Amino acid sequence: MTVTVSPEEFTLVLFDAAALKTTLSDLMTRLGMSERALRVEVDETTPIVRISVQDGDPIVLAAGSGAFEDPRVPRHQSEVHIVTNAGRPLLRLRDRNDGSFADAPVDDNLSLAQLAAWDAYCAGRLGRLGYPVHEQRWRYNFRNRHGFTDVADAAFDRLWTADRLTWAEVDGISEGAGS
Amino acid sequence: MRQFFPVEELARDERFHKITMRDRMEDARAGRGIPNADQRRRATSRLTPERRDASDAARALMHGIFVGEIQALEGAGRTCWDFPVGDTGSDRAPFALKLDMARQCWDEARHVEISVKLAQWMGTEIGQYAENTVLFEAACSPDPVLRLAGVNRALEGLAIDVFTTMKEFGDMAGDPFLEFCEDWMLADEVTHVKMGSDWLRRLTEHDPERRTRALEFQSVVDKLFSYGGLRSESDQSAIGLARRFREMAGFTTTEIDDVAAVSQEALDEAKARREQLRVQTAS
Repeated sequence: MTVTVSPEEFTLVLFDAAALKTTLSDLMTRLGMSERALRVEVDETTPIVRISVQDGDPIVLAAGSGAFEDPRVPRHQSEVHIVTNAGRPLLRLRDRNDGSFADAPVDDNLSLAQLAAWDAYCAGRLGRLGYPVHEQRWRYNFRNRHGFTDVADAAFDRLWTADRLTWAEVDGISEGAGS
Repeated sequence: MRQFFPVEELARDERFHKITMRDRMEDARAGRGIPNADQRRRATSRLTPERRDASDAARALMHGIFVGEIQALEGAGRTCWDFPVGDTGSDRAPFALKLDMARQCWDEARHVEISVKLAQWMGTEIGQYAENTVLFEAACSPDPVLRLAGVNRALEGLAIDVFTTMKEFGDMAGDPFLEFCEDWMLADEVTHVKMGSDWLRRLTEHDPERRTRALEFQSVVDKLFSYGGLRSESDQSAIGLARRFREMAGFTTTEIDDVAAVSQEALDEAKARREQLRVQTAS
């Protein structure tokens, strides 16, 4: 597997490209994507938490520096944030590539409710890969999009604990949760 | 017990990481946020559930409120202690003012507890975000009237705007706890701002120079906290200006207009800075 990080040296933030590469290499391995090449392009001029992924050879992950930043210590990178913010789009890409999410809208066209449902499904799986994820954060996000109800909480639990869902199932759970 | 406690020595455990306003302004990325697709689509920057980053933005803002409540508690406590009792002189504080500050401590302590519970509810850990200590810095003035202008009127005034925005956010999202908690804290904040307004007028009634100094200090703090266009009457700011509650807190229409103007100026400056940087980046 090849992971490249651009830029190799950061000037506006105190990021370490080598450490970033190590963290993302480990993430790719745990996601079962170690045969794929990954290029990470960090825009260090913006503190915005923004990240997008484009399939290809290599896979291109474009991120604002805020996506990898430690909100506790501004301008420093956070392993947890790197994994949480890179892991979800990479998992969405993996889901799409196995065919079971072929009918899912492209990322930019996902509704807020659909995205919250897919995020819950991704974050739950990241947790089971051994990464620290804060369940309540994702439950709160899901509730904001589906309502603060027992029905929505039960739907979140289904997504959070699932390992193999199709897009039809994720979308169906989201719709049934009251979105 | 020592008087006039320096901001650097505020007691915090290892979960907290303190930063100053200078740290924030020295971040070369400040104001460089080029709008993403979601932001370009949106007609407004106001913090509402329609924003794609709404949950995380609300969590970050709530943590800012939490550390602000801690510092407000510390600041009001210092004002109870730092000055000898006296009805005249800029180095003294009337006993009744100290009683008001003691009551405010009680409120702020309750707000800290509410904020901790809300953070848990929203999935935020204590200390997850950096703590900007500017509120306490505004509470370190050697003149109690300047503290009331800077903290009670400017910063607690901002709290009125923030709580109003968060209460509306909770209402729109259907989050009963957030809406209810923000409403209760908002009621207290209106009282705190009113205390500031009443004492400012009472203590400077026969001292126009002192009043001018206090209002200038308030304006500086207002501008500082509007940095980057965070709060203004424009939809391009995340937080709106809560005119009605400010009126209830003793602000005159002219004073609210002044805050609105300072906030709009900060937003315009931020937009100009972003545009300049956008052109630089493009070229």
